[in-house]
Amino acid sequence: MLNPDALKKFSSIVGPGRLKTSKEDLLTYAYDAYVQEFLPDAVLFPKSPEEVSQIMKVASAHKIPITPRGAGSGLGGCALAKKGGVILCFTMMNRILEINTANRYAVVEPGVVISEFQKELEKLNLFYPPDPGSATVATMGGAVLMNAGGMRGVKYGVTRDYLLGLEIVLPSGEVMKTGGLTTKDVTGYDLTRLICGSEGTLALVTRITVRLLPKPKSRRTLQAIYNRIDDAGNTVAKIIEAGIIPATLELMDKSIIKALEDSAHLGLPLDAEAILLIDVDGDLETVEKQAALVADFCKSLGARDVRVSQSEKENEQLWVARRSAFGAVARMRPTCVIEDATVPVSYLTSAIKKVIEISERNRVQIAVLAHAGDGNLHPLVLCDQRDQEEMKRVEKAMDEIVDYAMSVGGTLSGEHGIGIAKAKYLPKQLSGTSLAMMRAIKKTFDPQGILNPGSFLEYAA
Amino acid sequence: MIAKEIQEEVHNCIKCGLCLTPCPVYKQLCFEGASPRGKVQLIKNVLEGKLEPSENFHRLLFTCLLCETCTANCPSGLKVDRLMKAMRAELLEKFGLPWQKKMLFNLLVSDRLLPFFLFWGRTLGPSLLSLMPKGGKIGTIPYSKFPRLNRKALRDQYPEIIPVPNPEGRVLYFTGCATNYLFEGVGRAVIHVLQRLGVEVIIPRGQVCCGLPIFLAGARKMALKNMRKNLELFNRDDVDAVIVDCATCGAALKKEYAHILEEMGESPEAAKAVGRKVLDISQYLARFDLGKLLRPVAARVTYHDPCHLLRSQGVKEEPRHLLRRIPGVQFVEMAGADVCCGGGGTFQWEHPDVASGITGKKVQSIKETGAGIVASGCPGCRLQICGNLGEDSIETLHPVELVARALP
Repeated sequence: MLNPDALKKFSSIVGPGRLKTSKEDLLTYAYDAYVQEFLPDAVLFPKSPEEVSQIMKVASAHKIPITPRGAGSGLGGCALAKKGGVILCFTMMNRILEINTANRYAVVEPGVVISEFQKELEKLNLFYPPDPGSATVATMGGAVLMNAGGMRGVKYGVTRDYLLGLEIVLPSGEVMKTGGLTTKDVTGYDLTRLICGSEGTLALVTRITVRLLPKPKSRRTLQAIYNRIDDAGNTVAKIIEAGIIPATLELMDKSIIKALEDSAHLGLPLDAEAILLIDVDGDLETVEKQAALVADFCKSLGARDVRVSQSEKENEQLWVARRSAFGAVARMRPTCVIEDATVPVSYLTSAIKKVIEISERNRVQIAVLAHAGDGNLHPLVLCDQRDQEEMKRVEKAMDEIVDYAMSVGGTLSGEHGIGIAKAKYLPKQLSGTSLAMMRAIKKTFDPQGILNPGSFLEYAA
Repeated sequence: MIAKEIQEEVHNCIKCGLCLTPCPVYKQLCFEGASPRGKVQLIKNVLEGKLEPSENFHRLLFTCLLCETCTANCPSGLKVDRLMKAMRAELLEKFGLPWQKKMLFNLLVSDRLLPFFLFWGRTLGPSLLSLMPKGGKIGTIPYSKFPRLNRKALRDQYPEIIPVPNPEGRVLYFTGCATNYLFEGVGRAVIHVLQRLGVEVIIPRGQVCCGLPIFLAGARKMALKNMRKNLELFNRDDVDAVIVDCATCGAALKKEYAHILEEMGESPEAAKAVGRKVLDISQYLARFDLGKLLRPVAARVTYHDPCHLLRSQGVKEEPRHLLRRIPGVQFVEMAGADVCCGGGGTFQWEHPDVASGITGKKVQSIKETGAGIVASGCPGCRLQICGNLGEDSIETLHPVELVARALP
C-alpha cells in the first residue's frame, strides 16, 4: 500500500484522471509480454517533464519504487513493478515535438509509438531505421531504455546508434540534459548511451533527440529456399564476405515453414530446411546490381528456389511469409516465450542446429527465426504456462541455449534485454568487476534504489 | 456460463500488445484497461474468480466498439470480440441494461411498437425537435443530422413478391430496421437495381429486427425470438440468395446467429444453412455484368469499410468494384478506410468523447480525398459519418444507391 500522503501529492500533480488505483487498473499494469506478473500500487500518467520531476521528488521523499513503462511490449519484465510501488506510464506523453529537415534530427516525447513516428518521417522522405518486431506498439521511450534493435540492425544498427541527446529526470527529481543536436559531440562522458539500454534503472527519459537518414531510394527483396540449413548459413557468410551489407537478412527454419503452411497456406515447400529473406536498399542502380549478385550467391550455394522482387509491391508479397511467421507460430500453443541469445555471425548455422538439438532432447517445441545478418537468434519456445512440468523442461532448454551462446562468445540477449527473464544468467557473461562497476553507477544515479527496483543488477547479487 | 472454447481464449493471449495501437479506443484513451489486451486480462481474472465483476469492469467492457480490429490483428488468433460478447451476456443479469437501451431494444424487438413509433415519429418528429434545445445532440450526432423517418415502412411500400418477366434469379430480401424505417432510399435502390437485372425479389412478410444490437449489448434472451423467427422465414431452398443491404444485419445472419446458438449449446444448423445463403448486396451484384447497363454519374467518390462488413464478413473488394464500375465515377481510396468510424452502435452515445476523437480522424481522411460522396453499406456508419461531417456538403450514400443513380 502506498503512503496516503504521497498518493494525495501524486494526485495533485497529475490530477485524479491520470492517477489510477482501482483493482482493474492495477491488474492491467501487472504484465508485459513476459510470463510473470507483479501488481503495482498505483499507475501514473505524466504529460510533461515538470510532472515527472515533481513525481520523482515525492517518490524520493517517501522512498516509493517507481517503474517506467511505455506500451508494455517488452519481453523481460523490465516494465513491471517487481517491488510494488508506482508504474510511471508514458503513453499519454506522446507528441512529436520537432522534425528538423535542415539538420536532419527529430525531437519526440517518450510515449510516441515507433512506427507512427516513422510514418510521419516517411512523408518528408526521412528515415529512422530501428524497427523492433513490436514497432507498431512499442514507444520511443521504451526503445531508448531497452536499446531496441530490429531487423535492420545488420545494416543500420540499433536505437543507440541514432541518439543525439536526451532530457532525463533523475530519481531525485532533477532534470538533466545529455548530448545535444550534433552528430559529433565528445564533450564529457557519453551519458546518452549510458542511459540507452539501462532498462529504466538510472533515470527517466522525457525528451529524445534522434538523428535521421534520408529515406533509401529503392529496395529489393529476395527469397531463397534451401533444402539444407547449412547452405543457407553459407550464403549468409558469402554475402558478408563479398562486402555486401543487406538492409535485412532474415532466416526461418523448418518449424516456421511448417507453421506458416498450416495456418497461411503460402505454398512453401515442407521439405525445405530454411528460407532466407534478404533486402538490399539504396540507389536503384546499386540495388539492382546487388540483388543480382546475391541471387547468384544463393543459387550457387544450393538454394532450390530464388525469387527476386521487381517492385515495392513484390517486396511486400515476399515479406508476407516473414510477417506472418510470429502469428503462425504463436497460435500453435497458448504460451510463446521468445528467446534472443545472439552469437557471432559465423556461428549462426551451428547455433540454429544446436537449438534444434536442445529442443528435441528436452522435448520442448522450438521454432527458430533469426536476424541472420547479425547472429541474433529468435527461438520461439512454445508451451503452456499452466503446465509446470513442461515449464521446467522449457527452462532447462533455455539454460542450455544460453550456455551455448556463451561458449562461442555470444551474448545473453541481443535486443530484448535482461530484466528478470535473464537476470540469473548475468554472472555468466559479466565479471565480478564489471558488475561492481555497474552497481556503482546505479548507486550514483539512484542512491535510494527507488528506480525500477528488482531489476537485473539486484537480481544477480 | 461462457462456453468452454471461448473461456479457453484467455489463456492464449501472450500479452504481446500488438492489439494496442490498432485499437481505435485505446488510441484515444492511452491506458491499458481500454485496450483489448487489458480486457482479456480482466476477463481472465474474473473467470478465475480473482476479480469481482465490478462496476468498473462492466464499464470497461462497454468501452469497446466491438469493431473486431483486435481479432483481425491478433497473432495468436484470439477471438477477442467473441470473448467480449460472451462476457457482456454473462454480466447482463447483474448489471441490467441502461434505460435508454432498454427502451430502444424493446422498440426493436416488437413488431407492433415500431410501426406505431414510425407513424408518430414521422408526424410529430419535426415539431418535437423544434422544442429541443438548439444544437442538441444524441452522443456526437446533432438532432438536425438525423434523417426523417420513412413516410411508410419500406416493406409496406412493396408487395411480398416483386415479379419480373423471365427472372434471371430469385432472392429473399432481408430489409433490416434501418432501411425499413429510416433509409428507404437504400431499399428502393436495392429493389430497383435487382429488378433491372431481372431478379425476382421476395420480401418475406413477418421478418423482424435481426437483433444484433441487442445481442451485442449482452441481452441475448431478449432477441432470441427475433432470431428464431428470421431463421424460420429465411431458411428456404428455392432462392439463389438472401440479400442484405446492412452490414450489421449481414453479420448477424451470416455468423452471429450460429455463434450464439452454439454458445448456448443449441444446434446451429439452421443458422448455418441460412448463413451460407446470405450475401451483401455488393457481393450479389458482383455476379452480374453491370458494365453495359450503367450510365455515367459524374462524381468523386470514396468508400468507408464498415466493421461488420469488412471484419465480420470479410467483404472488402466487392463494394469498391461496384463503385469503380460506374462510368464517370472517380474513385479515391481514403487513408485508413478500414478503421472504425467510431459509431459502434450505441457506443457513440455512451462515450461521445472517445467517439468524436475517432470520428474526427475519419472525417479528416474523407475530406482529404476531396470526394463529394462517401459511400458505405452500413446505416450506423452512415449516421455517424454524416452526423460529424459538419457543414460540409459531402453526401453519404450506400454504394447501391449510387448504382441505382447510374441505372435509370
